[in-house]
Amino acid sequence: MDSLEEKVLIQNITEQEYKEGFVTDVEQVYIPKGLNEDIIRTISSLKEEPQWLLDFRLDAFRKWQRMEEPQWGHLDMPKIDYQDIIYYAAPKKDADRPKEIDPALEETFEKLGIPLHERNALAGVAVDAVFDSVSVKTTFRETLAEKGIIFCSFSEAVKEYPELVRKYLASVVPAGDNYFAALNSAVFSDGSFCYIPKGVKCPMDLSSYFRINASGTGQFERTLIVADEGSQLSYMEGCTAPMRDENQLHAAVVEIIVEKDADVKYSTVQNWYPGDAEGRGGILNLVTKRGICKGSGSHLSWTQVETGSAITWKYPSTILKGDYSSSEFYSVAVTNNCQQADTGTKMIHIGRGTKSRIVSKGISAGRSQNSYRGLVRINPDAEGARNYSQCDSLLIGSHCGAHTFPLIQSHCPSATVEHEATTSKISEDQLFYCNQRGIGPEDAVGLIVNGYAREVLSRLPMEFAVEAQKLLQVSLEGSVG
Amino acid sequence: MKEKIIDKGHYQERAVDPDAIRVVSGEHRRLCLTPTGDLSFVLEKDAELELCLVMMPVEPMEIKLRVDFAGEGAKASLSGFYICRDAGVKLSVEVLHRVGGCTSRQLFNGIVAGSAKSAFDGRITVAPDAQGSKAFQENHNLLLSALAWADTRPQLEIYADDVECSHGATVGKLNEDELFYMRSRGIPESEARVLQMISFLAPVLASVPEEQRESLTENVEKAVRNL
Repeated sequence: MDSLEEKVLIQNITEQEYKEGFVTDVEQVYIPKGLNEDIIRTISSLKEEPQWLLDFRLDAFRKWQRMEEPQWGHLDMPKIDYQDIIYYAAPKKDADRPKEIDPALEETFEKLGIPLHERNALAGVAVDAVFDSVSVKTTFRETLAEKGIIFCSFSEAVKEYPELVRKYLASVVPAGDNYFAALNSAVFSDGSFCYIPKGVKCPMDLSSYFRINASGTGQFERTLIVADEGSQLSYMEGCTAPMRDENQLHAAVVEIIVEKDADVKYSTVQNWYPGDAEGRGGILNLVTKRGICKGSGSHLSWTQVETGSAITWKYPSTILKGDYSSSEFYSVAVTNNCQQADTGTKMIHIGRGTKSRIVSKGISAGRSQNSYRGLVRINPDAEGARNYSQCDSLLIGSHCGAHTFPLIQSHCPSATVEHEATTSKISEDQLFYCNQRGIGPEDAVGLIVNGYAREVLSRLPMEFAVEAQKLLQVSLEGSVG
Repeated sequence: MKEKIIDKGHYQERAVDPDAIRVVSGEHRRLCLTPTGDLSFVLEKDAELELCLVMMPVEPMEIKLRVDFAGEGAKASLSGFYICRDAGVKLSVEVLHRVGGCTSRQLFNGIVAGSAKSAFDGRITVAPDAQGSKAFQENHNLLLSALAWADTRPQLEIYADDVECSHGATVGKLNEDELFYMRSRGIPESEARVLQMISFLAPVLASVPEEQRESLTENVEKAVRNL
């Protein structure tokens, strides 16, 4: 391909590739820019929160004020002005129809492939749709309630199930855990809450869909999932945002509590706006996700496909506290153009006979930087603990970087920890083989990448797997010439 | 106060260490030694370095090893082992591929017993345009007692695409099946364990120059028996 042809190709793709980049024109309510205790009180009163939650927020805010933004990531982070962000934006409720959702919002989610009408909905998936700072609709609530499952927005949970929320909130990610978790604890607006009672197998996949729409805002949602003894759940998360020239902040917290013998599978397809080819704009995705395998025999599995965001700073982790509990982390992270990703996982082995497995596949193209950062820690009492990690990186083009920063701390002589990593580029032979059979360079790369990421993609729930494969293809378009 | 390191997310140019030992163009150097302080090497075009570090510390040891590839076609084979009982070892190995076409291999094995703590911190950096680099790194640890700690941090920072890089790290215990096999054939447990530990270190010992190998193997056996 000559350079002109390549240029045209890249141009076409950067113009059309992010099809979720539209803005919905709805009337919205904002609170003033800036961050101080009054803003936090305003958010809390807007959401009609009880005093204990306001105290929790203020405590987190005071902790945050004393903290410093972390600098250890392998990231070239733009300076974030925390006073220049609107911390709460919500679509205006129509006074005549307070119960119904705005047709414009419904249309937006429809366009994103998330129908909010239960009759049209994907069979077997319940959705909590979050638009800027509020949850607009949770589908299948009643159907799920019949089984005793609670699935609603975080704000509703605070009102309807305060004891549950109070018991579990911040029990896995404390308010002062890290800089961005503290910020989230102070200003979080909405998110999803899910409780699966003892012995219940959730009949459908649950999911949250996060959409940033308003400009100049940040999204700070909080997800809390509790799986009681012997229950089973598959949870999915998706996200998109409009194309804008400025960076927007997304600092979320996800907490998962897995009790004895329960099984939770958490899948993410992250497709925030990645910025344009020159690195202008895009979402700063600074997220804290952590789960605890509390009881014996519990199991938590993380699967993530990260294709979007200008900057990704995310380490879904598991604390393996219960004896013989197990956890897995499967990740595909794709970076193109000027994207930067520093992502990985932490596995903390506390209980006896705990097992964990990490499979991470990084793909960097363009001028992007893609890092895997991980921690495997075996405490002295974690007798017979076992970990296996594999991190592979694939480089496409000579201007990108792929990095691996694992840390293994073993303090138990009966534990076994293994880690291996490789870095290489797509081999000329593979490309030649495809070209020879009439498969163009673009498609050949797509094919090879899909094969490379297969191990992770096959772990995703079906609806997600199809979407993820398409996303991989789109994210890498224009990266070979 | 430790200097605060701010990672900028991109390749950072570093100056060549002026005090480094230079392995000149075309030279082949073989070394096997017990390090007493930091070590730094610069490899010129087509130079070859074979280095083996022997660490059986009586006092806590902290060693930094740095290897810079300054000329194309150079090769470095770095190996070493540590046997710790009371005193720990902190070993950091930094390999920088500034130019393309160089190959580096690392193999560091360690046995950690008693209340010793070992820490291995290895980093391979491949600079932008250092195409055709090959870099491999392995660190294996055996933990023998409940109070022993082993930390390992093998890192890769790759800024060029035509490369072949890999690293592997393990922390584990003596294989029980092997132990059972030997005991079922009349080898006492303590002897079987010694054999296992020696075989664990054997790949490193194989890289020791022949004239030193025999006496070193004897010393290793003595040290292992005392664990």
